[in-house]
Amino acid sequence: MNTYYAANLLVYAGVDIIACLALNLQFGVSGIVNFSFIVFQAAGAYAAAVLSMPPHTASGYEFQLYVGGFQLPFPLPWIGGALAGGLLSIPVGLVVLRKLRSDYQAIALLVTSIIANTVITNARPFLNGAAGLALVPQPLQDQIDPGTDWYQYFYIGLTAVCVVLVWFVASRIVNSPFGRSLRAMRDHELAASALGKNPVALKMTIFIVGGVIAGLSGAILVGFIMLWAPSVWLFPETIILFAAVIVGGRGNNMGAVLGALLVPVGFEEVTRLLPSEFNMLGFAITPPVGLIPALQWVAIGLLIIGFLWFRPEGVRPEPRHVFDGAPVVPDAPEVELVRTA
Amino acid sequence: MRAVDGVSIEVMPGRITGLIGPNGAGKSTFMAVLAGTLPATSGSIAFEGSDITRMPTYTRARRGLVRTFQLPSEFARLTVLENLLVAAPNNRGDSLWGALLGPRYWMADENRLVAQARGLLKRFGMSAKESDYAGTMSGGQKRLIEIMRALMLRPRCLLLDEPMSGVHPKIIEEIQHYLHSLREEGLTILMVEHELHLVEELCDTVVVMAQGKVIGSGTMASLRRQREIVDAYLVG
Repeated sequence: MNTYYAANLLVYAGVDIIACLALNLQFGVSGIVNFSFIVFQAAGAYAAAVLSMPPHTASGYEFQLYVGGFQLPFPLPWIGGALAGGLLSIPVGLVVLRKLRSDYQAIALLVTSIIANTVITNARPFLNGAAGLALVPQPLQDQIDPGTDWYQYFYIGLTAVCVVLVWFVASRIVNSPFGRSLRAMRDHELAASALGKNPVALKMTIFIVGGVIAGLSGAILVGFIMLWAPSVWLFPETIILFAAVIVGGRGNNMGAVLGALLVPVGFEEVTRLLPSEFNMLGFAITPPVGLIPALQWVAIGLLIIGFLWFRPEGVRPEPRHVFDGAPVVPDAPEVELVRTA
Repeated sequence: MRAVDGVSIEVMPGRITGLIGPNGAGKSTFMAVLAGTLPATSGSIAFEGSDITRMPTYTRARRGLVRTFQLPSEFARLTVLENLLVAAPNNRGDSLWGALLGPRYWMADENRLVAQARGLLKRFGMSAKESDYAGTMSGGQKRLIEIMRALMLRPRCLLLDEPMSGVHPKIIEEIQHYLHSLREEGLTILMVEHELHLVEELCDTVVVMAQGKVIGSGTMASLRRQREIVDAYLVG
């Protein structure tokens, strides 16, 4: 296995793990069916790109049109990418999450994803339209030659640091009283509200946190592949991430990681091993171009349906939270039930 | 059509007030309006001297006006103990920043609230169930969870929507016992109930609704003497 191939595999795995952890916070823990998740990853990627690229009038960049071009040093483009994902979450969340409920939210977010992609595709002066952005500078490329193996290791390391950071944030949230309130809202929003929880504030908070993490994942990816175009963030990409979270186990961070490795990464790798020509009954059969990617989509659809039908809790179900000292509590104090002042 | 039309009632502090009436009378709608889960199109709601008509549900709950639901509303994939902890106010870990600061920041609050919740579970005889998923409990146990959950908020006024419906007679007795003791401790309760003998035993005052309006109020004994109320609801 050459270094570039390994780096490609590991960086994509890291990006998918980060994205799945974010989607798990929103969908698995909080019940927000964010069908526009990929838009927030794209926002992070575009933001990181235009923050690190020179102006479009610069030598070598004249063939594309885009706003910005600030040539900021690393890690500012990545921070900017994360912020862009979070900032975009605010207006989208305010429109979608305040008044609409569950399934209507999902429809509105799906439509948001399609509209965003269509607008960016057609508004060329903004982010170079359908052709997208190319020649995005890589982090610290002036200090380390991106053509070397060392740079690949460096990028894998950067991605790993981000995975650990996001895992830390996700774990702290899921295992806290705040995470418990999110899970309560997911199970019965009206009851949570009747117990003093502000469902809009809870949803907005986790939507923005998810947006920040999604933006970071986009920034990492664009720094590695050095280009970004509307064709890489079509709405079906979100479905792959949903499949990963459902297969891995909703509400479980480890499940999200497992799902990311099984679905987006696993599918890519397994289909890569398929031969380009089959031999059947002595006849050489060459599958039509595009058949394998199409079958990938069929397989992902079947995987989602199969898991929802036969194992809806996923490979790693949400853990039960058992407290120290359960269930025998001989010395539990009698409590005052009524506020007297 | 108006589900609730011109209803005006006063709930006495430290008493249990019953709200009765035939199906479709508007009782649950009225409870939902009081709790803020449905908006009031007109009129006003005063709670402990403050106008709360435009307040959202969660603010009313934080002020101590807490409701339970006609249908089971447990957090099914949370344990019984977690169901109670969700309702507990004043936990430093119940915010994004608190969560990110980690268990050291909020563990003292958590331990205090776990002890408080266990006290309630013990009082309601459900200690052994604390680590079970609430969704796996029986209908009666879910009712108890709802009442315990509401009590975790240290309410000033409890709105109970048919707390005995679909509950085993033995647990009905238990709930009755708990409601009696809560009243003794000074909790104000407004309760929708269909079982008239329970209303008679539990409630100090009873309000009768029919077709969205209040058609009478008083003790059950006095209501039984009013012809139109007997005809509308109390026959049998």
